[in-house]
Amino acid sequence: MGVLVQQLLNVAQLGAVYALIALGYSMVYGIIRLINFAHGDIFMLGGFIGLLIGVRLPWLPVYVMMPLAMILTALAGVLVERVAYRRLRNANRMSVVITTLGVGIFLENLVRLTVGPETRQIRSGMPTASVAWLQGHLGVYVTWDKVLIILVSFSLMAILWLVVNRTLVGTAMRAVADNKDVVPLMGVNLNLIIAGTFAIGSALAAAGGIFYGQAYALDPYMGIDLGWKAFIAAVIGGIGSIEGAVLGSFLLAGVEVATVAYLSSNLKNGIAFGLLILLLLVWPWGIMGKPGMRKV
Amino acid sequence: MKSALLLPILLVLSGCKPKGDELKIGVSAPLTGDISALGQSTRNAITLVQEEASAGLTLGGRQMKVRFIVEDDENKPESTATVFQKLISQDKVVAIIGSQSSKCSNAGAPIAEAARIPQVTPWSTNPNVTKGRKFIFRACFIDPFQGRVVAQFATGRLKSRTAAVVFDVASDYNKGIAEVFRDEFTRLGGRIVGFETYNTKDTDFSAQLTKVKGANPEVLFLPNYFNEVPLQVQQARKLGLTATILGGDGWDNPELVKLGGAVMDGAYFSNHYSPDADSPVARTFIAKYTARFKAVPDAAAALTYDSARLLLQAVATAGKADPRAIRDALAATSGFQGVTGAISFAGTGDPVKGAVVIRIEKGKFVFDSAVNP
Repeated sequence: MGVLVQQLLNVAQLGAVYALIALGYSMVYGIIRLINFAHGDIFMLGGFIGLLIGVRLPWLPVYVMMPLAMILTALAGVLVERVAYRRLRNANRMSVVITTLGVGIFLENLVRLTVGPETRQIRSGMPTASVAWLQGHLGVYVTWDKVLIILVSFSLMAILWLVVNRTLVGTAMRAVADNKDVVPLMGVNLNLIIAGTFAIGSALAAAGGIFYGQAYALDPYMGIDLGWKAFIAAVIGGIGSIEGAVLGSFLLAGVEVATVAYLSSNLKNGIAFGLLILLLLVWPWGIMGKPGMRKV
Repeated sequence: MKSALLLPILLVLSGCKPKGDELKIGVSAPLTGDISALGQSTRNAITLVQEEASAGLTLGGRQMKVRFIVEDDENKPESTATVFQKLISQDKVVAIIGSQSSKCSNAGAPIAEAARIPQVTPWSTNPNVTKGRKFIFRACFIDPFQGRVVAQFATGRLKSRTAAVVFDVASDYNKGIAEVFRDEFTRLGGRIVGFETYNTKDTDFSAQLTKVKGANPEVLFLPNYFNEVPLQVQQARKLGLTATILGGDGWDNPELVKLGGAVMDGAYFSNHYSPDADSPVARTFIAKYTARFKAVPDAAAALTYDSARLLLQAVATAGKADPRAIRDALAATSGFQGVTGAISFAGTGDPVKGAVVIRIEKGKFVFDSAVNP
């Protein structure tokens, strides 16, 4: 029992990090049909920005450091879109994909050169004691920082859902997603909406990066593997769908942890991704995705 | 017309002026990448040897300058292969030092062997690196010995009966030493209650460690590198695992305690030497290194230093800058006094030498016990 609950909490923590990254992939794709392969590196950049703020201003509490890092990363995301992607908005798909890959490699090397290649951890000052109630009643060791990571991630996702579904900006975003050629004619500033999408996606990725740096560790190349996994989670959930990105992330984390717990840690990636390929064969649009209904 | 253009280009590419008065030795090191801290120690050790050898060597009546060419292999097998090829065909080195990790040395060794260029790896402990090869040597002991040392330490000094292992299955070093430990621990009457794997660059080990926690072992063996071990120990402790933590020589870098802090206290690992080693060679080296680089040398630095000096001694014995003669002189080495102990090659590229067990106390590496083969 205790071990099962412990593993479920491991799934929640890993899934929350995947979801924070996957949302950025999904939103950007939903709005301008662009798969931003540099997004994993934005996640990494966000983690390092958090680390640098923590190192330079160690007296800053984590609830100030985090929003600050999220804002700075959002600016970086907007800058990347402005400098590298905007001109290519109507270029052929291959050029765009290559540009996003190039931006990713640029960011990795930028961080490696400025911060160094060593593995780093963010010392957050968050409580690392185990939650006494859980330990007493279930024999489960869960530290408070883990609980906070899960709670804050879920809150951020809830806020995002509200912004997209209940505000004017969200309506405009959904309208652009539906048809980006007609919406500007209605007086909506297309560039602003797209920049906003990049900003939100990057800010969420930064939150994920900071959590990751607290729970695990940061290194300049971590965005590659995690970016791929989050991207796959977004595709599984149905890329373009916010609920899908979250669902796909927890599903992927669940399959990974279950493979380790009940089969063999040797098979983790093999089984996880094998299952996901099977899933996509049955459900090619992803769980929450809609089949494209474009007319020729 | 075309060939008239091509000729000067070819001459430039082939480095038209052959320099006969320079003895070139290649070094393949992980200057960037996941274990770049170790690449830095490699470079520091080579810098010391380079300075000591500034007078050069007299070979066959000719004065030769010694030049080390240090290349970055990023701790990636494919980059190591490129580095070896470049050093051999372009720089025309007479010997190569490196690489550090076993997976990289395993990638470089076939190239050196085929080109008949002697290679001395300082820190690669996986048995396959030298197996069946005539030109490949190492300055360190091999994993079967190290795995046995740790297993004996666990059952003997710690008197533990149950153990779990969590290791990187994608790396030759980690996998090899984990398997030897498992076999030896079982042979000594202990029980392995967990044998879990992960992949290089993973940072979340909670699923594996939760499983290990369920089996509640007395010792947890983590034969992994210094950049990952602190995360594993932190996550294990956060899950309430109280086992004594053990490791291998892959732990030996200051980064281990910098990243892990107090959580690493009370852990043990087997190593090539201890920074409080007490031989004249070791004392001189440690003093020189500490003064010059403001850091205590790790085992990789000590072994790189030994490898380079071993090689220079072999060149002097051979009396000429000929790779085959150097190889024969290396193979005949006996009783070489290095920082990491006496090195003799008894018919293979693997030296006969002892190990030490180090205990971590308040962020410092402290000598615990010595084991001889």
